Amino acid sequence: MLDHYLQAVATVLLPHNLLAMVLGSLWGLLAGALPGISTSMGVVLLLSFTYSLSPMTAFVLLVGAYLGGITGGSITSILFGIPGEPSSVPTVIEGHALAKKGRATFALWVYLLCSIYGGLFSVVVMIVATPLIASFALKFGPAEYFALTVLGLSVVSGLSGGSMLKGFLSCFFGLFLATIGTDGITGEERYTFDTTILLGGINFVVAMVGLLAVSEIFIEAEEPFKEYKGGVQYRGMLREFPPFSLFKGYLLTMIRSPIIGTIVGALPGAGATIAAFLSYGEAARTAKREPEKFGKGAVEGLMAAECANNASTGGSMTILLSLGIPGSNTTAMMIAAFMIHGMQPGPLLLSTRPDIVYGIFASMLLTNLLLLGLTILAIRMFLELNRMPYSIFSAAIMILCAIGAYGLTNNMDDVYLMFAFSLIGYAMRKFDIPVAPCILALVLGDMAELSLRRALLLSGGSPLILVGSPISIVLLSGALLSIVYPLFKKPKMLQGL
Amino acid sequence: MKKGEIIFSAMCIAFFGFMLFETFELLGQGRPGEVGSGLWPFMALATSTLLSVLMLISSIRRSSAAGPGAQDLTAEAIAEKRRARITVSLSVVCFLVYIIVMPWFGFIIATLLYIFVFALILGERRRWVLAISPVLMTTVIMGVFAKFITIPFPKGIGVFAEFSRLFY
Repeated sequence: MLDHYLQAVATVLLPHNLLAMVLGSLWGLLAGALPGISTSMGVVLLLSFTYSLSPMTAFVLLVGAYLGGITGGSITSILFGIPGEPSSVPTVIEGHALAKKGRATFALWVYLLCSIYGGLFSVVVMIVATPLIASFALKFGPAEYFALTVLGLSVVSGLSGGSMLKGFLSCFFGLFLATIGTDGITGEERYTFDTTILLGGINFVVAMVGLLAVSEIFIEAEEPFKEYKGGVQYRGMLREFPPFSLFKGYLLTMIRSPIIGTIVGALPGAGATIAAFLSYGEAARTAKREPEKFGKGAVEGLMAAECANNASTGGSMTILLSLGIPGSNTTAMMIAAFMIHGMQPGPLLLSTRPDIVYGIFASMLLTNLLLLGLTILAIRMFLELNRMPYSIFSAAIMILCAIGAYGLTNNMDDVYLMFAFSLIGYAMRKFDIPVAPCILALVLGDMAELSLRRALLLSGGSPLILVGSPISIVLLSGALLSIVYPLFKKPKMLQGL
Repeated sequence: MKKGEIIFSAMCIAFFGFMLFETFELLGQGRPGEVGSGLWPFMALATSTLLSVLMLISSIRRSSAAGPGAQDLTAEAIAEKRRARITVSLSVVCFLVYIIVMPWFGFIIATLLYIFVFALILGERRRWVLAISPVLMTTVIMGVFAKFITIPFPKGIGVFAEFSRLFY
């Protein structure tokens, strides 16, 4: 076991992997910090460029982008009051209020230290929990895998936003898209309409880039011409380093928040936003020192939100690596990265590719440490980048999307398909149909169908096999609960988000 | 938006209904004792069609409940909405033209023109930004993707291909 860890650390520290970690983290920080680009969009844009990389380098790059994105989302929140990520909304409330009082640098330090602490905490949990959960999941057969994919798909309730009906429509549309192309079992052509472009199925990277990134730029284009003007003065970082006693004074929050973040991150579909809000809400509810400051620049609120949103990354990655279930939008995109490199995240991954799993552990640990330094450097850089004209920035994103789709097979057909998906994504967003469930279903659909058909083949067509084992029953019950629970209960603070 | 939602829901029903019709050909395909190619897409499409119908009903009900005056907008709001629609339409057309002409003009020229026109569409009017940014951005993209990652971008045809070969 220790050998695996040492080898993984040594691999991650190779110069090309270190470079990938730095570039991925910087890109993530940029994507997270700039409004209009989410962490998942940042990861999606990188996906197509990982084809030519070795799997380890690809994951180091993507982990950097993921952690950087979650961390970077709060930079613009504190400095300019603009949440780079939905999970940074509590940070806007407290962090920007502190910034307006002339304590921007202090708020940035608190955010940064809490983010890194939350991230490291969850990585330790991930390292301990992943092998335990994965060894249990090795008992899975096709029926259990089907139940697992249903549980994975059930996160649609968490990703649906306002309307469950629209969330499920998006999900089933994604399941349909996953069936296009040649059937993996019978070799039958499905919905190809005698074209070659659809024969191999729809590449999920093409679909993701179109649905998420390009459509987002079209939506942004509706807004009047924007040129960003920051209003907060930034002072030297070293002058306002917070004392250790500050964190000691909020010990309970510092213990509770990363635990909330890690657990919520591990819940399918919950992700960093819910983690940040729940932790922030809990801090506000139990605050003993200066509860009246909440909403006006409470350091405790900032700590709680930042510890939790970064801690959610480890929780999400734990269930992704051990069960193959995405805990958030971004980890759903990560499934695509595994598939690109011929792997399936889940219990078998630890035995088939331990180098990758331990490499991801090591890269998450090291990226969190690296982010401490990179974020300080990046804050100054982003102050400058935010002055870049939005029109040029959007054009650059569009070109990156086109290159991303083209680079998959060096074929313009993928770019045209990506364009078609961008129009679908735009229409979906205009009519409040969430895009994330569609992407999730597109990624998991193939596995769900194949598992179901294999299970039915084993049982001679009897559907009872699907509920024939306690594991299947537990997983399907979890899926049912995951779908039904949000219908009855949604935290008040999340309503309207 | 209510009217738009009704039309969108109807389009969803038509699309999923058509695909569901296509699925009937797939049902029953496959070897005896095996679940055929059509079952899974049939389940997905049948549910999608049903959900689209529910979405249509919900849109119609909300539209009726809102009453005829609910959609009244001020002249300013209508003008703003129209401006947004024009900008989005032009952005979409601009990107479509970009990806269509790229194989003919080559990556460099198509990208230079695209950045310039797209920035104009989004409302950029500063001459120095319009003059410098396309060149700077294309140079950076070429350096990273054509030279460093060596993606074989389209070179174009004829004189455009000759031009592209000067760079990659």
